Amino acid sequence: MVRLITTRLGAFLLTLFAASVVLFLTINVLPGSAAKSALGMEATPQAIARFEAQRGLDRPLAVQYGQWLFKTLQGDFGVSFQNSVPVGPELMRRVPVTLQLASFAFVIANLVAIPLGMLAAARHGRRADKATTFTATLFGAVPNFWLATLLILVLSLNLRWLPSGGFTPFSVDPVQNLKQILMPALSLGIVSSALLIRIMRASMIETLSSEYIRTAHAKGATEAVVIRRHAFRNSLIPYLNVAAVEFGFLFGSAVVIEDIFRLPGVGSLVLVGIINRDYPVLLAAALTITLFVLVVNLIVDLTVGLLDPRRVKGSRA
Amino acid sequence: MIQVMNGFDWRRWRLVLTGGTIIGIILICAIFAPWIAPYSPYDLDVVAMLQPPSAAHPLGTDELGRDILSRIIHAARISMQVAFIAASVGLVFGTLIGVVAAYFGGIVDLVLMRLMELLFSFPAILLAVVLMASLGTSILNAMIAIGIVFIPGFSRLARAATVVVLREQYVESARAIGMGHGRIVFREILPNILAPLLVEAAVAFSYAILLESALSFLGLGAQPPEPSWGNMLNTGRGFMAQAPWLSIVPGAAIFLSVLGFNLIGDGLRDLLDPHMKE
Repeated sequence: MVRLITTRLGAFLLTLFAASVVLFLTINVLPGSAAKSALGMEATPQAIARFEAQRGLDRPLAVQYGQWLFKTLQGDFGVSFQNSVPVGPELMRRVPVTLQLASFAFVIANLVAIPLGMLAAARHGRRADKATTFTATLFGAVPNFWLATLLILVLSLNLRWLPSGGFTPFSVDPVQNLKQILMPALSLGIVSSALLIRIMRASMIETLSSEYIRTAHAKGATEAVVIRRHAFRNSLIPYLNVAAVEFGFLFGSAVVIEDIFRLPGVGSLVLVGIINRDYPVLLAAALTITLFVLVVNLIVDLTVGLLDPRRVKGSRA
Repeated sequence: MIQVMNGFDWRRWRLVLTGGTIIGIILICAIFAPWIAPYSPYDLDVVAMLQPPSAAHPLGTDELGRDILSRIIHAARISMQVAFIAASVGLVFGTLIGVVAAYFGGIVDLVLMRLMELLFSFPAILLAVVLMASLGTSILNAMIAIGIVFIPGFSRLARAATVVVLREQYVESARAIGMGHGRIVFREILPNILAPLLVEAAVAFSYAILLESALSFLGLGAQPPEPSWGNMLNTGRGFMAQAPWLSIVPGAAIFLSVLGFNLIGDGLRDLLDPHMKE
């Protein structure tokens, strides 16, 4: 088990380091001078040169990266080019918003996918199965930003049940917070459930055709007991693997959904960084989203490793 | 069975045919847009601003009085172009990387596939957004950015398929008779790994449409006045109360085209590997 954890943790750190290099290089070749964006189009060449020298933008990329990495490892994400405000505290204020959004969306996706996937598998080949598969196909084709727009149109503008945007922290007003997060989470969760329904269905069908399930039936176990106690647990491992990827996808999709619902999360910070050519902001926000994804993958890798007896055996050997 | 006529099993092909019909209609709109569209997608009409669907404008008009139907038809061109070019970039480069990795193995395989895994660790939309910021906002750059996003997926698939093909006797025979690497790859390997890659390409088409729409929606893809389903939907957001059709119609176009490609992909997958359906 120790070996499993060490290997996965090592791979996680290496990937994170490599991801930071890729993001740093990609973002630092952004067209359009950051100096012009911060100082205005009328900025003199001298002012631009001074701006770049003050922020180390005139140094070689490798040196810039080394300095950025050194500071970031100490928790210093630099200062915004646009308003000279430290990026770290701003990022920390936004992280809980994105975490709440992605987590709620993930819960909704699973609440939709697990029962529907199980139902389709249990009724394999019958009408319920076909209806579920069709639903998954429709969900999978809906762009989440369109679903978000339709939800605003119906639930906000027509029925006036939910606010069309904004964010109130849970600690300030829990009811308002839940009202504001529901539509964004639904927009992401329903679309994400499409793949998860299919995976749950496929995984469950495979499990239900296993030898030990037939044995359980032969011993007189009811359909409900077989599904709940045997098939569901064993179908979870492949499901979890895909669900982790989907969870990562949710963090990425936050870029679009946070913009629509005016949620002050990390995703909308990516757009702020792009629009303002604010390298420190964009880099910190993009890396944070990547970190979320990698952490989720690491947790699932470890969980699957610990859940799967074959893997545990393999890691000991 | 009635469904099996002249040896053609309609039931097995129904997903491909349904998806193909949807995509066929969209493709016809894209190719013949200037002849099909009732109005120019750019012509402003100040007396016909934000008009609801009517006989003159079947899908209504936008905030500048432009005909929505004409803009939707013209926007199909952009979506189809982006989908085709982005999927092709992903298919060509991804396949090349995957095949080279599997064929040469060892350190080449290790380096290339680790690089692909690294790209895979970024959420697709984040990678596309950051690449667009880096490349600059234009439709050509959207095609390149989305194509880059697809490379890791195609490379993984191509590598896995090549590893299987490399074990086949005909590849070993080709090596034994001294055939060069290039000929083995192009004549023996590529034709035998094409089927799963083409299924993936259908899925990539649908995902490319989604990504392009998302980028244009965020203002990073096609730039106004160029019509794109994504930027039309974004504009419509500002007029949701007065003109809901501005938000509904472009989204429905994205939904239908993604659905069409997904049905083709699902159908092809079922046809090529019936066990996948289970």
